[in-house]
Amino acid sequence: MSSSSTALRELQRDLENKANDLSKLQKDIAKNHQVRKKYTIQLGENELVLKELDLLNEDANVYKLIGPVLVKQDLAEANANVRKRIEYISAESKRLDASLQDLEEKKYSKREAILKVQQRIQSHQAGKAKA
Amino acid sequence: MASSRGGQQVIRGGDMEKMSLEQLKAVKEQADIEVNLLQDSLNNIRTATARLEIASTALNDLSLRPQGKKMLVPLTASLYVHGTLDDSEKVLVDIGTGYFVEKTMAEGKDYCERKINLLKSNFDQLIEINASMELLSEDVLGGYFL
Repeated sequence: MSSSSTALRELQRDLENKANDLSKLQKDIAKNHQVRKKYTIQLGENELVLKELDLLNEDANVYKLIGPVLVKQDLAEANANVRKRIEYISAESKRLDASLQDLEEKKYSKREAILKVQQRIQSHQAGKAKA
Repeated sequence: MASSRGGQQVIRGGDMEKMSLEQLKAVKEQADIEVNLLQDSLNNIRTATARLEIASTALNDLSLRPQGKKMLVPLTASLYVHGTLDDSEKVLVDIGTGYFVEKTMAEGKDYCERKINLLKSNFDQLIEINASMELLSEDVLGGYFL
């Protein structure tokens, strides 16, 4: 009798642990969404800037705001900078996508593991009631 | 039945009859959240469009002023200093991410127009999506009571 109640307690502890893991996973997924949203916005803004820069003549003046200072920049350099930023953001987005996929898979398998533990607890308690 | 798209789900009308009350509730909540988000976005676009139109009007006004005209230049929201209008043919345009471009007055006006048109088309697209979301929400309600 006591061995089955310790087994029950262990199962319940296991359930708690798994539930905690699951909620941590969900927090991670939510954070991933947030960061991805931020990147999407930045990507959009940078593409707008690139479009504007492309419309310019060669000799147009481009300035960059660095802190409180407006610094004159070379059009080619500004183009290169914006392009590099776009590349960086796209790469980061892809990386986030991959890790989101991974997190979602972990979430599903955690859910299934939790269900299994719950079923074992139920069958345990049913077994105890009969005994 | 439902396909996953970045965490959100696309539910088709015909599937509603097969879903239980719980799932209908979930769909309705999802649709309501999306409607709220869309309303927020619409408001943001309206604000941005208004600011651009103010900028455009200011530009038009500026272009009418002669060079050397005395003016008050805002340093902060409550501090102005005397100044004279220099060449109003050149304007500095903020194109985003900290970049500013020197443009002629005509190009500056054109820039404002382009941005306003872009925002208006985004606004229209969002209104369409909003309408279809509201329809979905009503469909779910209909499914509730049937």
